Amino acid sequence: MTRVKSSRTAAAALGVAAISAMTLSMSGIASADTATGTSYQADLVQLNNSGASGAIIVQLDGNQATVTQRVSGLAATLTGSPYPHLQQIYIDGQGKCPTASSDTGQDGVVDTADGQLTYGAVGSTLSMTGDTTAAAATNVATAPTGSGWNYSRTITLDPQSLASIKAGTAVVVVRGLDPTSMSASAQAAKSAMDPALALTTTAPALCGTLIASQVSTTPKASPNTGGGSTAGIEDSGLFAVGGGLLVAAAGFAFGGRRRYWRG
Amino acid sequence: MAKHLRSSILANGGDAEVLAVRAQHESAERGLKHRQLPSHRKRSLVLSAAALLAIAGITSVSVAAGSQEQAPTPTAAAALGRTADGSSGSSAKPAASSSASASASASASASASAVVPAPAVAATLTLPAATPTHLDVPSIGVSSDLLQLGTNPDGTAQVPPLGKNSQAGWYTGSPTPGQLGPSVIFGHVDSKSYGPGVFFKLGALTPGEQISISRADGTVAIFTIDKVVQYPKDQFPTIDVYGNTDHAALRLVTCGGPFDYSASSYEDNIVAFASLTSIKG
Repeated sequence: MTRVKSSRTAAAALGVAAISAMTLSMSGIASADTATGTSYQADLVQLNNSGASGAIIVQLDGNQATVTQRVSGLAATLTGSPYPHLQQIYIDGQGKCPTASSDTGQDGVVDTADGQLTYGAVGSTLSMTGDTTAAAATNVATAPTGSGWNYSRTITLDPQSLASIKAGTAVVVVRGLDPTSMSASAQAAKSAMDPALALTTTAPALCGTLIASQVSTTPKASPNTGGGSTAGIEDSGLFAVGGGLLVAAAGFAFGGRRRYWRG
Repeated sequence: MAKHLRSSILANGGDAEVLAVRAQHESAERGLKHRQLPSHRKRSLVLSAAALLAIAGITSVSVAAGSQEQAPTPTAAAALGRTADGSSGSSAKPAASSSASASASASASASASAVVPAPAVAATLTLPAATPTHLDVPSIGVSSDLLQLGTNPDGTAQVPPLGKNSQAGWYTGSPTPGQLGPSVIFGHVDSKSYGPGVFFKLGALTPGEQISISRADGTVAIFTIDKVVQYPKDQFPTIDVYGNTDHAALRLVTCGGPFDYSASSYEDNIVAFASLTSIKG
C-alpha cells in the first residue's frame, strides 16, 4: 500500500515538475521581451582619478545574488602589501554616484561622507569570504586585494538591499586610493567610515549604479557546449569495422592454411 | 559472420581482384601439375577472401584515422578583432527601406542607460523583438534552424540536445537578434555519438565575416564578426558575453580547447562576438 502511495506521489511530483518546467521555459521566453528580468549590472566608473575601471553583474534568485565582477587599474599595494579594496552595495540613496563637485569637505577627495549624500548607506558588503552584511563594510581582512580581480560569489541579500536593487537605487562602490597620489592632508586624514582606517583606504575609487540588464537572466558558469567526440576517437565505429575485418582476414588465412595447406 | 562474409565474397566472384588472385593461383597449380582442382579452388578463394578482408580492414582504419578532426581555434588576430575605427562596420548600409522594422531602429537612441562604451559599429541600428528561427554562417558552412534555450534549475544555461542533427539554439533570456543588447546563441562543437556539431568550425571564423539570422517577423538580421576569442572555462567572460551593450550585438558560443575526460567537458569556450550591420526584409 505504501509502495503504491509512494509511486503515486512520485508520479504526481513528476507531473508537477513537468508542468513547472514548462511554465519556467515559457516564462523564460516571455521575459526575454520585457524588462522584468532578474539580472542587474553596473559599469564601474572611476572616482577621485583612480584610473580604474570595471563592471559588475548581479543575478538575483530570490534573496540570493550571484555577483560577477571584473575590476582593473586600482592601486596594487599599500605600504608594501596587496592593497585591500573594500567594496559595498549602497542602498536607499539617490541611486547616483558622486562627482567631483560632491566634495563637500573641499579636501580634494570625494570621500564617504560626500558619497553618502548620493548613494545612501551600506546595504551589503562584497567581501571575498564570510560576512557580507553592512557589518563587514570596513573589514579589510576579507576585502579583495591588488590592482584588479575577477570576483564571483553568491551572497544572501537582506530585504532592504534586495528592494533597493530592484528599485534601481543600489550603487556599487569600490574603495581604496593610492595614498602617494593624495595631498599630505588627505594622506594624514582618518576615515569617516572607520577611524582605525586612513581616509585613502575608504575613499571611493570606482562607482556604478545597478541597472536592469538587457539579458533577463544571466546564466551561471560557462555553457557546456561540447560532447567530446572530436577530442578523442571520432569514428570509433569505423575503426571497429576495420579492425574486425583485419581479424577476420587473419582468421581466414590461418583457417585456410590449416585446412588446405596440409600437403 | 565469417560464413556470411565468405559467401558474399564467393558470390562476388566477378570481382576483378578475386579473378586476378584466382588466375594467379590456377596458373601456379597448372605449373605444379596438381589435379585436385576443387580443393585448390577453395584454397585460392579463401585466400582471396582473406586478402579482400585485409584490404577492406586497412581501408576502414585509415579512413577513420584520416577523418579524425580537430576543431579549429581562433587566431590571435581574430581575438583582437576589427580595428577600432569600425571602418568595416560603418561601410555596411542598413537596408532601411521596406519594412516596419526600419522605423523601429530609431529606438537605439533611447539607450542612454547602456553601460558599455560604444564600439564604432553602426550604433543606432536595431530591430524590434522577433523570435529568431534560422541561423546562417556561410563562411563556415553553418545553416541551422534555431532552438529556444532557457536556463537549467541550477542556473546554468541550457544547451541544445546532443542529437544526430546538431542544431544551434537562441538563449531566450537574451534579447532577440537585432534588438538592443547581447543576443546569445549556443551550439555544440561536437557530440560523443555523432561527431562534429553545428559550431565545430566556430574557431575558424574571422573578423569581418557575416552571420545572418532569419526572424519570425520575416526580417533577416545580418551581423558582422568583431572578434573570436577562446577562454578557459573558469575564466568565462560572463560580463563580455551577457553584459549590456549599446548596440544590437550577437554572441555565438561553443566549446573548445583540450577535453577533460574526467569532467567530460572541454576546458575552454570559444565565443564569436558580432554586431548588427544590416537588415533585410
